[in-house]
Amino acid sequence: MDPADLLQLLSEQQDRRLRVIENLLRGRRTVSTLYWGLRYDLLPLLNLAKPLDRGALDAPAQLLAQQGLIAGDSAEGVVHLTERGQTAATSTTYYRPITRQNWVNVDLIAARQRLLLAVQVASQYAHSTSRYYPLATDLTTRQAVRRWFHRVKGPDLATNLREALVSSLRQLPAETAAVVTDQFTGYQQPGYTVSQLAQSTNRSAWEIQLMHFDGVAQIALAAQEAQHPLHDLFQPLWAVPVSRSAQQTLQAVEAGGDLARVARVRKVKLSTVREHLLEAAIMLPATEFPYDQVLSETIRQRFAAAVTGPIDSWQYMELPAAMRDELDFFYFRLYAIWRMKRGDSE
Amino acid sequence: METLEASLEKVFGFNTFRSGQKAALTALESNQDTLAILPTGAGKTLIYQLYGYRHPGCVLIVSPLLSLMNDQVDRMRISGFKRVAAITSQTGYVERQVILEHLNELQFLFLSPEMLAQPQMLARVGQLDLSLLVIDEAHCIVQWGPDFRPEYLLLGAIRTKLNQPLTLMLTATAGKVTRQEISKQLRLQPQVVTESVDRPNIFLDVENVANEAEKQSRLQALVAKLQLPGVIYFSSKQQATDTALWLQQTTGVQAAAYHAGLSGEDRFRIQQQFMTGQLDLICATSAFGMGIDKNDVRFVIHYHLPADLESYAQEIGRAGRDGQPSIAILLYAPGDEQLPLALGQSNRPDEATITRYYAHPQSFAADDPVIHLLDFYRGHGISQAAVTQLFTRREKERNRALANMLAYARERRCLRQVWLQAFDETSPAHSAACCAPGEVALDLDQLELLRQPTSETENAPTDWETRLNRLF
Repeated sequence: MDPADLLQLLSEQQDRRLRVIENLLRGRRTVSTLYWGLRYDLLPLLNLAKPLDRGALDAPAQLLAQQGLIAGDSAEGVVHLTERGQTAATSTTYYRPITRQNWVNVDLIAARQRLLLAVQVASQYAHSTSRYYPLATDLTTRQAVRRWFHRVKGPDLATNLREALVSSLRQLPAETAAVVTDQFTGYQQPGYTVSQLAQSTNRSAWEIQLMHFDGVAQIALAAQEAQHPLHDLFQPLWAVPVSRSAQQTLQAVEAGGDLARVARVRKVKLSTVREHLLEAAIMLPATEFPYDQVLSETIRQRFAAAVTGPIDSWQYMELPAAMRDELDFFYFRLYAIWRMKRGDSE
Repeated sequence: METLEASLEKVFGFNTFRSGQKAALTALESNQDTLAILPTGAGKTLIYQLYGYRHPGCVLIVSPLLSLMNDQVDRMRISGFKRVAAITSQTGYVERQVILEHLNELQFLFLSPEMLAQPQMLARVGQLDLSLLVIDEAHCIVQWGPDFRPEYLLLGAIRTKLNQPLTLMLTATAGKVTRQEISKQLRLQPQVVTESVDRPNIFLDVENVANEAEKQSRLQALVAKLQLPGVIYFSSKQQATDTALWLQQTTGVQAAAYHAGLSGEDRFRIQQQFMTGQLDLICATSAFGMGIDKNDVRFVIHYHLPADLESYAQEIGRAGRDGQPSIAILLYAPGDEQLPLALGQSNRPDEATITRYYAHPQSFAADDPVIHLLDFYRGHGISQAAVTQLFTRREKERNRALANMLAYARERRCLRQVWLQAFDETSPAHSAACCAPGEVALDLDQLELLRQPTSETENAPTDWETRLNRLF
């Protein structure tokens, strides 16, 4: 990740922890990472740079600090944009994906693999070639594409797929449509690598990847339509962005159990139940979480009276001791999530 | 049983074998372990493919290069062999399970030496009916073994555990010492099938330069003049990457870097771009080459001094497979031998380290490759004295190999003679068409290797929709 890429993930108003951003990108899914991902509005990036090395953001951060674009506690890895940094971040024509709100709901990495192989297979098929090197990819992708191909192959496949892709890509900026097209491998077209595309568009490698994700998400959105040629291939990749066990906990709670009882029935610790609920609250829209049941009106009123100012400045340890004895950190955190989901971003 | 020729015709549609293929197959058919030393591009894989076709059971191929293995599997599927699989450390858990479930049905199984050395895997493979064991890139037993891939040293013991199946060892280059070492390690007396390593259509050239700056400008001048496509080898990924960009910007040649640090997806695209002629020049590390079928490579330049003549022969062998005039250029500046020397030493523990390690093995971090190596030896019950001796001997061998390479770089009369001598071959009489040692001027015009001015067929830029349409 280049310094310019990191610049886009930081804020002038909010101190941000580099390690959280790194963990989000690498898909380290702890409740703390998810919570701060929500606070930073960076959840869409979850999982998108799994091969990133630990500490990979430290060097670009150092460069930004040297240039006076960020400031903060570099030993702790907590930083914010300086005024100059803010100007630099907003004045560039850095790529801003348009489908980003959908990213947490679809497995973009798998979708991209499937799309690339499906396009290659369909392209070679359209030119009646069967002897070619397939893109090297994982077994699940190969099997999914093979099953898909045997279902959809026929004289109309190439035309249908081409029309579907064109219609999705037309909804993106022309440059993005071009970058997405140029990554495809097919008949007599090896496609271009990320670094080749970065070089020819004068953008960073990460921006090129953002464009790819934007393209894949746009195509995946269109493929929700049952008639879309990629419907069967992409549909299994849409999922509720909550782990299966957290979903089960959530269902048990919604079915009307208090948390201790749910813990007993599900044979997990109470703290695990709470972690599951926080994960669900963070990842789901407000309407899909039983706030009224878990976070009663009384509890909300007590927190409202006890905390003031921006959410990031709230400190659990600064609450009165009696209140802390009664209300676990879980409620404190859930209250903050509830406030955010209602749109109280302060 | 049908004749070898009939099988060849049936499976591959060819009428005649290339030289070496038939001799190797004949030896195998008479149940003789075989060491086949055939030049790059001679079609070594055909030997075991055809053997696997003619005999029931599974052909087990041990191969050192992970990327090469997947490539081989793809190739075999394209040639119509469907019961093929590879298991490496990169194979995902699910995929590995699927392959293991169907192990008995496989006709060809590729394994990395590390994978085969795992007791569970070895037990599973031991239950298979093996028709043939293939040790691909057999020179790695000697060249890489003690420094990088200790598991190759276990192959002798592994082969014994597998009840000594008929064994085919394949390599492009192996001098007398290497051959003896391979036989010794694998505990067998193979029939040796060999073809000359000489490639008369590759002109050999050494370019003396005074220093790094001069080397760069010489490289740039050569790339600007030489007939394309070409490959430049580097010892460093970073330098390969930087030089590709620099040459593209300054000479207008379509260049890209290729090394083990790229993603599989990008390696695929770069290879295909090179094969289809979209790229003219690859700036590569040694990760590039094995498994690349491009016949019309006109030049191979070495920016850094290789560690031995065998690697050098292997890498320049990628030029001129079509038999047309080609050139292998070594850029040499005084002191260039320091880099391979240092690279060799960094992979090798000194005596003090070995002593300290054996005194307190637990207090060393296993993620250090040198310590990993020592763990490996100690784990296999090899004593401190034996390990020290092994590394001392190994260091001597490496130094001798590097000295040979250096002798080539500094040769004043005939490069081909020095090269072939290392493989116990005698060279044809020297002529101007043979080579140009350091002090001899290079005449590319005479060699018909000057780039002809091409009519700039600048493709009109097309919009993305047109490009997308073209795919379908």
